[in-house]
Amino acid sequence: MAKKTIITVATTGAWPKKENNPNVPMTPAEIVEDVYACWKAGAAIAHLHMRDDEGNGTMDKNKFRETVDLLREKYPECDIILNLTTSGDIYASDETRQIHLKEIKPEMASYDCGSMNWMHSALFLNTPAFLTELGNNMQEWGVKPEIEAFDPGMIANAAYYLKKGVLKAPLHFQFCMGCANGIPGNMKNLVFMKETMESLCPGSTWSCFGVGHCALEMLYGAVAMGGHIRVGMEDNVMYAKGQLAESNVQFVERAARVIREFGNDVATPAEARQILGLN
Amino acid sequence: MSWGPCFFYYECPSCGKKFKYATDMIPVFGPDFGNCPKCETAGSFLKEGARTPDDMDFEEVSD
Repeated sequence: MAKKTIITVATTGAWPKKENNPNVPMTPAEIVEDVYACWKAGAAIAHLHMRDDEGNGTMDKNKFRETVDLLREKYPECDIILNLTTSGDIYASDETRQIHLKEIKPEMASYDCGSMNWMHSALFLNTPAFLTELGNNMQEWGVKPEIEAFDPGMIANAAYYLKKGVLKAPLHFQFCMGCANGIPGNMKNLVFMKETMESLCPGSTWSCFGVGHCALEMLYGAVAMGGHIRVGMEDNVMYAKGQLAESNVQFVERAARVIREFGNDVATPAEARQILGLN
Repeated sequence: MSWGPCFFYYECPSCGKKFKYATDMIPVFGPDFGNCPKCETAGSFLKEGARTPDDMDFEEVSD
């Protein structure tokens, strides 16, 4: 039986704006249409960020609520797994970063497993107190963490929280490759991330994405190494060199082609739930 | 959360061309990082960060 590979689409992110690519979905209505189209193209998970009315990243719980409700009302047949960010605004309070999870109870949410300098300009803080509180809350609320690891130290940090009971096995990692101040995106480093995970958190599942020029290398590498993949305009507004992405669907379709040509199947949301141990 | 690549934005002091390099390409370009893709003159550094609204005015230099 062919291996199933999960495609996550990260539609929006906190940064790119219409000036960078007019096809980035920003409003709840735009995001909903985009998620639905990506689901039809093969995405099993949608990682969602919200924007305020000026287009800036926000953790406004009402924006999350509006988007999720609209998707469920307009497209009830869409069974895509929703993965809501907890890091959509680096200046948001610890409470603001998680209150939407308590109210909406998505199946998944991001869990950034350590702090770092962000784009050489700010602190991306994920304090021990925040990570402990968030991990415990996610268990209580039935939200599976997608552990975003920007470097190998964050995998070691996840192992610590696993031992402490803040995180519960099996873990699911998202290796964030090529972000400024994070681990550079190349095959050698992807192998190292995977081996570090297998050593410290055996039995975990993993996915990865690459920003910028390493995006395709990480896509092909993840498929070849048995991982899952994330694509979308949160990470890349360019589809290829000198070519703006027409839509997130374009990224999902390419990922699906790569998966199938490799000999794997694109996982449906139901299959992704089974792989990730979601109820 | 990602913000896409981090760029250094330049203008060429010789020919006036505007261009940018992703900072994760520093090991790829080595000492040529920041050079004008048209005339190879070292560019004048303007700013850095994630894609800015005028991002499309700057040609992205890649390998």
